[in-house]
Amino acid sequence: MSTEAPTALAPPGPARVLLTDARLATDLLRGAGRREWWRLGLVAFGAFLATCFALAAGTVAAIPDGHPVRYTNGLLNGSGVRPGLVLALVLLLVPVLAFVGQATRIGAVHRERRFAALRLAGATTRQVRTVAALEAGVTCLFGSFAGLVGFLAARAVADSVQRGRSTPVLPTDIPVFWPGFILVTLAVPLLATATGALALRRVAISPLGVFRRTRPPRNLGLYGLVALLLVLGSALAFVGSKPGLLMAAAVPALAAGAVILIGAGAVSAAGASARFLGNRLVGRAQSPALLIAAGRLQADPWAGARVHATVILVTVVGVGFTGIRRIILDEVNTRQYAASDTGFYESGFAAVGLTVLVALAVAVLGLAVGTAESLITRRRALAAQFAAGVPRSVLRRALLLETALPLAPAVLLAGLGGLLIYGAYTAPFGSELPLLQPLLVPVVVYAACLLAAAASLPLLGRALRPAELRHE
Amino acid sequence: MNNSPSRTPGPTGPRRAPILAAHALSKSYGATEALRGASVELTAGEILALTGASGSGKSTLLHCMAGIVEPDAGAVTYEGRRLDGLPEHARTLLRRTDFGVVFQFGQLIPELTARDNVALPLLLAGVRRQAAEQRADACLERFGVRGQAASRPGELSGGQAQRVAMARALVTEPKVIFADEPTGALDSLASEQVLTALVHTAREAGTAVLVVTHDAQVAAYADREVQLRDGALVPEPAAATATARVAGDEH
Repeated sequence: MSTEAPTALAPPGPARVLLTDARLATDLLRGAGRREWWRLGLVAFGAFLATCFALAAGTVAAIPDGHPVRYTNGLLNGSGVRPGLVLALVLLLVPVLAFVGQATRIGAVHRERRFAALRLAGATTRQVRTVAALEAGVTCLFGSFAGLVGFLAARAVADSVQRGRSTPVLPTDIPVFWPGFILVTLAVPLLATATGALALRRVAISPLGVFRRTRPPRNLGLYGLVALLLVLGSALAFVGSKPGLLMAAAVPALAAGAVILIGAGAVSAAGASARFLGNRLVGRAQSPALLIAAGRLQADPWAGARVHATVILVTVVGVGFTGIRRIILDEVNTRQYAASDTGFYESGFAAVGLTVLVALAVAVLGLAVGTAESLITRRRALAAQFAAGVPRSVLRRALLLETALPLAPAVLLAGLGGLLIYGAYTAPFGSELPLLQPLLVPVVVYAACLLAAAASLPLLGRALRPAELRHE
Repeated sequence: MNNSPSRTPGPTGPRRAPILAAHALSKSYGATEALRGASVELTAGEILALTGASGSGKSTLLHCMAGIVEPDAGAVTYEGRRLDGLPEHARTLLRRTDFGVVFQFGQLIPELTARDNVALPLLLAGVRRQAAEQRADACLERFGVRGQAASRPGELSGGQAQRVAMARALVTEPKVIFADEPTGALDSLASEQVLTALVHTAREAGTAVLVVTHDAQVAAYADREVQLRDGALVPEPAAATATARVAGDEH
């Protein structure tokens, strides 16, 4: 070895740096362990779902006004209601994105240690960010490509099944708009790459570890507000220039705005409710399980806030939808509408109901992933508690309580919010509001969430093994 | 320290200009003062042990001197240039080319093989894959772990993993190696193998080594030992007394 060597290691050019980063990202993916594959698989699954929903929304949006083919589902026929269906499909991306966000957190500790090791080996912060973004992008590209293939395959199957029918169920007669389809397939991984890169901007990656910057960059809120005003102003100017669009755009825009506001409120409410409960219960807990769960809520009230926020959103929408559906269907049946009108409402509500159920399934899946991730991250601490004499049953109950405690008030509030929407919407009918079905929704959502948390309990057994005590 | 296993070939004669120097470094983490005006110098080819009790500031001093952490006050100079004022990117490039860093554990990337881990600093520096792998293999050979080149860190013993980490630290032929408790997680046999390999390679390449340790056996491999207490260097006679006391306690 010579002592003159460092001069030979001049910084490489940008093209070589990118090539090295891409190669490194590929090597890291190739050597990923089982836990990493779980994470990558779930992220790819999220990209798959997002692509399918976006392609479905695009297909519905592509049905031209005055299209001669009539479908069995009335929502596909009316040019006035189709934007609502498109919006519902686009809104399905909200729980999917929350699910992807949750999945990316699996093994976060391990990944952060790897980032630090890369920095220690001489990688610059930019290189580490590039590697992470490329990894996310490649994973999502696999998922979105699978989504494209899956969507086209499902479309072909549906087309062959309903061929010859005068009123098809699905709009498979609408030709595939390839540029749009390819754009969606590429947009999903690009969005994931950009989101991954943005998320890492909030952390400082040093050879000693990854540190979160507690203070957000200055004026970001101001810049965000200016950007939002610009986007809103442009949208309003565009819509205002075409009078026909104004009404068609108003309802979906209002609905989207309401969902964003409720979502932002839900994240705050979920975190605040967890913190409040943790603070209140930690000094009053009479059982060890409650004490452990309350301590955890107090220490990290935001751990479940993102997933709980999706559950809250779905509950609000679910309660509102169930009530409105009941009222309108009762109205339609009472006034003896024409059979075609009744069919329109029934099939329309069935389609929206299915959308709500899919959203609930994705939200609950995200909650299960979140609980499992939390268990994996804390396995050494859990193994230490078990080794110190805390019974397995107490830890099991504590784990369930961590989900059950903050969710109870959050779901209750969401139910009340949904009832408010339902009440405001049905006020003009002046009839007595049926409450049984809407009130069942929060109960069903809560039970589904507890089941999802319970589904991760088998992992607890593995986390408590003495070998985990040796885990770094 | 006369019975040091590696004492013989160290730098001799009049003291040369330091390659790396810390002058009056201070660093606090919140209310905790980790360093309080610590100064230390390292000459080319010298092996210096930085000892002291837990929490004495040894690791913080090493991190400051390696450019990983910026001191609150004081100066770090490397080859006559101020290191502490350099931007993060420049310090990273310096660590990539001129410095090698070894920690107690957790520094290897589990997804990469031992060969890829060692080749990584070269690849990051733009060396072509084949050439980087050849140099990595040569370095692994030097540390006696060439046979484990295709293994991932999870398949290696603690001693083997640490030797791979040392090979990675030395693959760019750095001028200074920073080792923070490099044998803290190893048994005595593995510890001896790792230290012997490090000292032998450093001597051969003329690399300076700053090793942080609380273990007198590890410090015995060094040419010189300085002791830290409460973030400040202990004056040499007191350090010698303290070392003697530690040795006496051990007996």
